[in-house]
Amino acid sequence: MAEARKVESDPGFSLLGKRIPKLDAPDKASGNTRYIHDLEVPGALHAKILRSSEVHARIRSIETGAARALPGVHAVITAADVPWQRPIGVAKDHLPLKTDRVRSLRDEIAAVAADTEEIAEAALKLIRVEYEPLPVITDAVEALRPGAPLIHPEPHGANGSPHLKPGAPVAFAGKADNVAMTFEYAQGDIAQGEAGSDVVIEDVFRLHYVTHCCMGVSGVIAAFDPGGNLLLHSNTQVPFLHKREFAELLGIDPARIRIIQPPIGGGFGSKLDIYPFEPIAIFLARITKRPVKLVFTREEEFLASPTRQPVLMKLRSGCRKDGTLTFREVETLHDNGAYTSWGATTPFVMMQTISSLYRVPHCKYRTRAVYTNNPYAGSFRGYGNLQATFAVEAHMDKLAEAVGMDGLAFRLKNAQEPGEVSPQGMHFRSCGFKQCLATAAERSDFLRKQAANRARQGDPDPVKRGVGIASMLHVGGGAKIYPSDGCGTILKIDDFAHVTLMTGASEIGQGSETVLAQLVCEELGLPLSAVTVVNNDTDITPWDVGVHASRTTFIAGNSAIGAARKAKDKILSAVSARTGAPAEALALKDGFIVRGEEKLFELGKFLRSLHFSEKAELVMTTHYYEPPSHHQDRQFRGDVSAAYAWATQVCEVEVDTQTGIVRLLKVTGAHDVGRVLNRLGIEGQIEGGIVMGQGYAITENLVVENGVVKNPNFRDYKLVTAPEIPEMDVTFIETMDGEGPQGAKGVGEAPAICIAAAVANAIANATGVRITALPFTPERVYRALKGKLPSPEWNVPA
Amino acid sequence: MSARVEIDFTLNGVRRKVEVPPAMSALAMLRDLLGLTGTKYGCGEGECGACTIRVDGRTVNSCLMFAADCDGRDVLTIEGLAASAQGEALARSFVEHGAVQCGFCTPGIVVQASQFIARHPGASEAEIKRGIEGNLCRCTGYRKIVEAIANAGSDSTFQGGAHG
Amino acid sequence: MAPRSLEAAAALLRGGGVTVVAGGTDVMPQSRSGKIRLAPVLMSVRRVPELKGISGSDGTVRIGALVTISELLESALVRAELAVLWQACDHFASDQIRNAATIGGNVCNASPAGDTLVPLLALEARVVLAGARDGGLDTRRVPIAGFFSGPGRTVRAPHELVTALEIPLPGPGFVSAFCKFGTRPALDIPAVSIGFAAVREEGVLRNVRIALGAVAPTPLRAVGAEGILEGKPPDPDTVEAAVRVVQEEIRPISDVRASDWYRRELVGNLLRRMLAHVREG
Repeated sequence: MAEARKVESDPGFSLLGKRIPKLDAPDKASGNTRYIHDLEVPGALHAKILRSSEVHARIRSIETGAARALPGVHAVITAADVPWQRPIGVAKDHLPLKTDRVRSLRDEIAAVAADTEEIAEAALKLIRVEYEPLPVITDAVEALRPGAPLIHPEPHGANGSPHLKPGAPVAFAGKADNVAMTFEYAQGDIAQGEAGSDVVIEDVFRLHYVTHCCMGVSGVIAAFDPGGNLLLHSNTQVPFLHKREFAELLGIDPARIRIIQPPIGGGFGSKLDIYPFEPIAIFLARITKRPVKLVFTREEEFLASPTRQPVLMKLRSGCRKDGTLTFREVETLHDNGAYTSWGATTPFVMMQTISSLYRVPHCKYRTRAVYTNNPYAGSFRGYGNLQATFAVEAHMDKLAEAVGMDGLAFRLKNAQEPGEVSPQGMHFRSCGFKQCLATAAERSDFLRKQAANRARQGDPDPVKRGVGIASMLHVGGGAKIYPSDGCGTILKIDDFAHVTLMTGASEIGQGSETVLAQLVCEELGLPLSAVTVVNNDTDITPWDVGVHASRTTFIAGNSAIGAARKAKDKILSAVSARTGAPAEALALKDGFIVRGEEKLFELGKFLRSLHFSEKAELVMTTHYYEPPSHHQDRQFRGDVSAAYAWATQVCEVEVDTQTGIVRLLKVTGAHDVGRVLNRLGIEGQIEGGIVMGQGYAITENLVVENGVVKNPNFRDYKLVTAPEIPEMDVTFIETMDGEGPQGAKGVGEAPAICIAAAVANAIANATGVRITALPFTPERVYRALKGKLPSPEWNVPA
Repeated sequence: MSARVEIDFTLNGVRRKVEVPPAMSALAMLRDLLGLTGTKYGCGEGECGACTIRVDGRTVNSCLMFAADCDGRDVLTIEGLAASAQGEALARSFVEHGAVQCGFCTPGIVVQASQFIARHPGASEAEIKRGIEGNLCRCTGYRKIVEAIANAGSDSTFQGGAHG
Repeated sequence: MAPRSLEAAAALLRGGGVTVVAGGTDVMPQSRSGKIRLAPVLMSVRRVPELKGISGSDGTVRIGALVTISELLESALVRAELAVLWQACDHFASDQIRNAATIGGNVCNASPAGDTLVPLLALEARVVLAGARDGGLDTRRVPIAGFFSGPGRTVRAPHELVTALEIPLPGPGFVSAFCKFGTRPALDIPAVSIGFAAVREEGVLRNVRIALGAVAPTPLRAVGAEGILEGKPPDPDTVEAAVRVVQEEIRPISDVRASDWYRRELVGNLLRRMLAHVREG
């Protein structure tokens, strides 16, 4: 790795660092934006899915005759109608339409395409399914016990089809136990670490189910043309990966699949995987030869979209009397649910927090993700890091207390610094961690408030105040979950100096479109009105891994800058050839080609004049960016990202000890974001992330009992509403990352990550009671204060 | 229940006669019969506010209202609001204050805000938060929405003569 | 169907096969979820003039069944004289729902957690019912404490329409308090709600009324606890005795919102808190 590039902190930008409104906002605020639900495709049929009414059962028979006979019904399909279907998902253990067994209540058994949604729904009610119940396993610990009923005992999958290419069919082989995935990582020697410790503590933590609750429910529109080419209107966050997956599923060439992403009503990681409704809509379209639109109800969204991974975690930590961390040993059990999606792979991120948020010489980490009959977990903003940070930061407080240090000094003593390489092999080239800690603590008056609150714990007033601190480390420079991370850009400048930026990156509301436009216009000396961003059509835009892992600004931004610089070089060399001035002396500014202060040409005019030059060339460039960081090896050593984001958040709470209500009053955050590119946009990301973290900590709880979601609605699944939001004080630490686009790092996930951890520490500060299980809903907190909330136990079979 | 009901009402300033199934919601009528897709389905239970419209000046969840109940009334959706000076001022304020991310909740909140500002001129931040307590937003954390509403309230289009 | 007079509405209702719709905020979602079945005829009572308006005379406040929660909040009479009802309305769902939902609808829906029911119980409201008979209307009045017969069930006969709520105007010395437990100001189905009303006379409480929501199949009056407090000052010992009794009187269930144990704890703690305010106020 070469020496990090230096980024100038203030080169006199005209657009970057400013408060730039989002380019898509005017349409959205006027009701003009058409989401997938709003699209009308001529001749489209409407599809609905029949889901299992049993948590775990054999399907004895499915009777669809009456449904097929209903007027207006075009097709009713079951697994028998699509013998060529293949398993989907991260472990390819999930058939879109279930054959002989349902493994969770959400399981898809049949689907209907009809003239209207009402007819499709009426047809579902006419389908008769006969089940033979199987033993239900909804506790991950039970699922691990020897002799536990198996969720995937036999192979399932394709059983031969003319649609499939050579090599097919592909089936899931089945499993002899319920372990879906395991991860193990170690550095140093735990025994040695423990021997050198003055204090050793151990706790068990339990993290609950939450779900994304995108305001726009899931939906897809599938249509085949007569040549068998598939056009998919999809909310996916990873269109290019899904092209390939759908192609495999259908046994067709990926080149024959075009994915268009209409504006999306929220993503947050929920749309990184293929879920059965998408192939099912495609199957129906193929069978009916009609476009098929499938849109969820809100209840369906709660039942059949992914969750954050629930985790049971045992953490042992040690330190010396002087506050130096000595070791950390972690074992976790992930409830995978019935199928494997990205949730199972969150240990990638969790182990980074365990090993490298603070300096720990000896570290051991083990995870098992276990099949149960519960809903299955996907990826969700923060990707395991909320869970890991919750445990680690609780122990940072407890260890500090045990050695008589304040929580801030203890953290500062163990915090990573710029230039360090963690034992896991992560290179922290830019690292504002200590500034984050110091800034958040100072701006919130953390130490004084913490001492004052502690002193008041015994006061008669039933309403207590508390303050808590927590920090986080997260990928901020892409994520090499796949062998390659990168993003293509095609940049076209027309002869009126209007730029069309075609990027592989997806806008999902986060504002990437606007940031990319800013980066390009800054480079080309043009106003924002001079750019059109095209970012939602796989037939037009170049490849990209997808929108996740806080990577878009970093990866797509660097790619866009690269394309803009190429265009600039072309233009300036043409000017140089025309005028004889050296290209290095020329620049693009305010729509002109300038030499110093002298305006040589208006850019559009110069480009038009190229029409008449000897080698007429409209400006069109392509660029592709792959950050040159180290890859992780099979022992998980190395970098997964070209840069890392840091943050500290201080949360102030009020705890009503007579009701258990916890109110989040204020969040003081300090975020190392590399550089602020769009101040308005980054504030929006941070504020939204804080409130999402608040929901995870305090209000949101997807209640799953015996495999049944008990609260599939916004009445009882409580998102934070406007009156509940805390005061927010956010400071940006600009460390000017050498690899980042103009120094910026990713930030999308960071603000949600440490809220729950900081709130837990604040409750402990307010009441003296430490709760190691989320969420902090009133009854749970009240029980804890009364000593009636059993602590989570680690009784997991080895 | 298969019979249809003919209703006669004003939609965004234009008189309309429409035949609707008796159990149809106002939301379904607007979106599916009349093609006004700015009003969104978020939950169908009045918990999220994405389907907020104004009926005789007051905001309601159109998912909880029977389409037939629009008969004789004055209905305003985001499309109609956006074409007015107040709607433009609100949209501008939402844009400038960064109150829009995925944007799915935005039309409902803009409609709710238009009524709130008219009825509560000069409202405090806490009052504005209560004013949009029936609108869920998953992206923004609400702060910028509150700022946008506060700022729009001081726009001249909302000063004097405004009424709910 | 949208009749324009009470007689016409009552006549339609008498014919049977009618679902009455006012604001629609309960009927619509309940019919969609299958909790209720819509009858062949949907009758909107929105145009029935007799169901509208708030008026006060002869020591009684009459609130038409069609009065929306927003109209109650905007009524100076309600705010000044029926503070406990006004507070409950302020904690009612959201602005959009308050604009549509009616007090008559809230009463007829008879949810154990219905927001206006607890204050109406505390205020000893009467439910006015009208039903068609040949050549006219029969009207009867039912004390609200006897109106609810189970979750979603009332003593209203199928041919009857709730036309109004009548509330005796509180006199001098009247004190009241309302508490809805929740983490949000309003948009919340309460795990517990409590309404309290009494007349303070020379340091003691008389005509004590404690109404509770979401702790039994219907909203109810805590008659035993009322008896403990009656005629006494709300001193700590009396309050503790009342709390012990009220916790015995209620029959809370455990559901996704709260356990029965927690509901009992809440009722006790919140009642203590309310009575402390009464004592200090």
